[in-house]
Amino acid sequence: MARSTVMLTAALAIALVLPLVLSAFYVVLLIEIAVAALFATAFNLLMGFGGMVSFGHAAYFALGAYAAALLAQKAEWPMLAAFAAAPLVAAFGALIFGFFIVRLTHTYFAMLSLAFAQILYTIIFKWTSLTGGDNGLLNVWPPAFLRSVTAYYYFTLLVIGVCFLALHAIVNSPFGYALKAIRENPRRARFIGVNVRRHQLCAFVLSGFFSGVAGAVYAFHNGSVFPDFAFFTKSFEPLVVVLLGGMQSFYGPLAGAFGFKVMEWLISRWAPIYWPLFLGTILIVVIVVLPQGFVGLFERRAWRLRPVTGKK
Amino acid sequence: MAAATGDREEVVLETQDLRKHFGGVRAVNGVDLTIPYGDLRAIIGPNGAGKTTLFNLITGDLRHESGRVSFRGEEISRLSPDKVCRRGIGRTFQIASVFRRLTVIENVQTALLSHHRRHYNLFADAARLYRDRALTLLDRVGLREQAGKPGGILSHGDQRRLELAIALASEPRLLMLDEPTAGMAPNERHTLMALVARIAADTGLTVLFTEHDMDVVFAVARRITVMHQGCVLAEGTPQEIRRDPEVHRIYLGYTKAR
Amino acid sequence: MTTSLFPWISNGPLIAVQVMSGLSVGMFLFLLSAGLSLIFGVTRIVNLAHGSFYMVGAYLMAELIEVLPGNPMSFWIALVLAPIGVAILGGVIEITLLRRVYRRDPTMQLILTFALILIIGTLVLLVWGPDNKSVARPEALAGSVRILGQPFPSYYLLVLGLSPLVAVGLWLVFYRTRWGMLVRAATVDREMLGALGVDVSRLYTQVFAFGSWLAGLAGALAAPTVAVALGMDADVLINALVVVVIGGLGSFAGTLISALVVGELQSFGILIFPGVSIVLPFALMAVVLMIRPWGLLGEPEE
Repeated sequence: MARSTVMLTAALAIALVLPLVLSAFYVVLLIEIAVAALFATAFNLLMGFGGMVSFGHAAYFALGAYAAALLAQKAEWPMLAAFAAAPLVAAFGALIFGFFIVRLTHTYFAMLSLAFAQILYTIIFKWTSLTGGDNGLLNVWPPAFLRSVTAYYYFTLLVIGVCFLALHAIVNSPFGYALKAIRENPRRARFIGVNVRRHQLCAFVLSGFFSGVAGAVYAFHNGSVFPDFAFFTKSFEPLVVVLLGGMQSFYGPLAGAFGFKVMEWLISRWAPIYWPLFLGTILIVVIVVLPQGFVGLFERRAWRLRPVTGKK
Repeated sequence: MAAATGDREEVVLETQDLRKHFGGVRAVNGVDLTIPYGDLRAIIGPNGAGKTTLFNLITGDLRHESGRVSFRGEEISRLSPDKVCRRGIGRTFQIASVFRRLTVIENVQTALLSHHRRHYNLFADAARLYRDRALTLLDRVGLREQAGKPGGILSHGDQRRLELAIALASEPRLLMLDEPTAGMAPNERHTLMALVARIAADTGLTVLFTEHDMDVVFAVARRITVMHQGCVLAEGTPQEIRRDPEVHRIYLGYTKAR
Repeated sequence: MTTSLFPWISNGPLIAVQVMSGLSVGMFLFLLSAGLSLIFGVTRIVNLAHGSFYMVGAYLMAELIEVLPGNPMSFWIALVLAPIGVAILGGVIEITLLRRVYRRDPTMQLILTFALILIIGTLVLLVWGPDNKSVARPEALAGSVRILGQPFPSYYLLVLGLSPLVAVGLWLVFYRTRWGMLVRAATVDREMLGALGVDVSRLYTQVFAFGSWLAGLAGALAAPTVAVALGMDADVLINALVVVVIGGLGSFAGTLISALVVGELQSFGILIFPGVSIVLPFALMAVVLMIRPWGLLGEPEE
């Protein structure tokens, strides 16, 4: 454990120093990596640790982004207040949607989460008077002291860092243990006294909350929000990141976000047309060849689980 | 039947006219069962007799059509499995059911955390909680040395021991074991059931189990209930069951007559 | 949503016309979704790339019409050839990729088919460029007819006529041919079928190709009525998912009924709840998933 603490401290130190040596462009990239990493880690709380794969997680990202934008712009709340309230809105959305979604499993879970996300997308798209429809909401800027790229970078680092600490604690907490148990064997989990549905719903809400944080951070960084924050293709981003980085480890999504965003930047520079093709190919490679993601390549493959036996 | 002493209830589990059918099949067809405190009750019967269905009805995994189930005097017929567990019934499953990717000790710790209702705690370091108690339980079932291994790599027999430890973590008053020795070699079976009997005696636990191996049944059980096609065919001490002509008739071919 | 597929849905006062337009939308949705339902029924994979196959069908149609000589028969020839092209594409994809993931969990399969959306989309862009294509209707069907006093584009009569034919044809295939019987058996119990000596993996390939053919046919048919453009895959995928989930993944009759219901819902929805009508099918899908996840006529899965 000590080794990872050292590595984390080193990473943190590097992260603090980076804006001083890199140009603004790269700092922006770092901000976007951080946002993607948080979104993916929140998503992974459900997928890797909870065994629930949602195909509509963009909904909570979008709720966070739009709530932040609307509160700051239309309700004219101070940015920090809007920023604090936004994840609560996302969590509330996760509560409502999640209540229905966690009753299902696997394919149906995925389909319903997709359906809800599309409903939200359609509502955002159509409710032009509130959300600006296809034009989105513009001029969503942070207050002056956070407007420079460097300042916003440190803000992002702080927020994302705190969220990572919280998520790390959650994963290793009694709540996390029970969640993992549900992932492994829901029937057995029931028979140690765990109310599986309630627990999964809590995990869903937590995941929605942190996805909302990611959305809110992105909203003020981007300066604008658009309906396609909720479109189903956006829902696949955390999925890809988690797959790339490995879903069984806590820091997998962070590594995956790094790789994903860097690749996206490189390919977009060279030949943007090829980005979806590249992404699709990587996905296929990962699924077919590397079930544990790239990080999994480096983890010890010492344990090989016994197949389930005991049938009559 | 064992006489009640002190604050122990005389009857731990009781079912009345329990029924369940699937389509046209009457899986459980009016089962009355009374399990007194301290009993080591074996439920035997050919495949399809309804033993596992009966278990699932008692634990709440299945909804019954009619009848009642009461545990320590309280009706539990409509409770969900997690609530049944909290009332004090522990259970193991036919197919060894552990948390495969959690370590052995995490398996037990999770059960303990849930039992003590701390599983909604978001911030404590779970690895440190109930460690000693978990190790004690693992000691009891002989798995202490394997505490750090993932549950899924244990041998089949060890997984069943782990499952026993998980069930015991919830401090049950009644332990229901569904074919606890399936897939084990004969001597392993005796060892496991002897362990169960010892733990039951030490902690005042009542045990209900299904089993196919008659040697094990006759060695361990205090009373035997024989099921056939969803009904209770016979019930009594091992001696009585051994001599029962009906049981012989049904079981001809399943066991040698003694 | 579906209005982009059928831009002519009338706002007319006659209920009968409204019903007709709902019917034609519904029949088209059936054609679109049948392949998806079939593939799921047999392979248990929800092919998210179904919309992409539709799109390829439309583009192939456009390409063939450009390439073939300008006589009236070309349209019909293209209509026959385009879906076959898509079927071949589907078969190739099944053999090279999908086969490897049948044993994986459904989520991985879904992600794989999603990845296909990205790849096929880019390939279409590379081959045909970013501009929209348009396909002209055949002369015979270029005009409109009067139905109950309202003008009704003749081309849609083709859809209205062809879809039931396809439905009947599908029924014949699945209930009156040996192959169809094998397919139905495969939806019920694959292992048993394999144990009986049937080459199940070849059957899977055939089913996938057939489902892709249906998607391609829908695309080819739709080509003269919509903008053949990038992004039509996403639009259509959502439609197909909604129909198939409501009707029951894997049930033909369910898909048919559900398609008609959704079609009428769209048609009347625009009249009754104009702003919100787009949300209605999703809402219905959500409701169905909440109450009866396996759809109206599907089978509960464990």
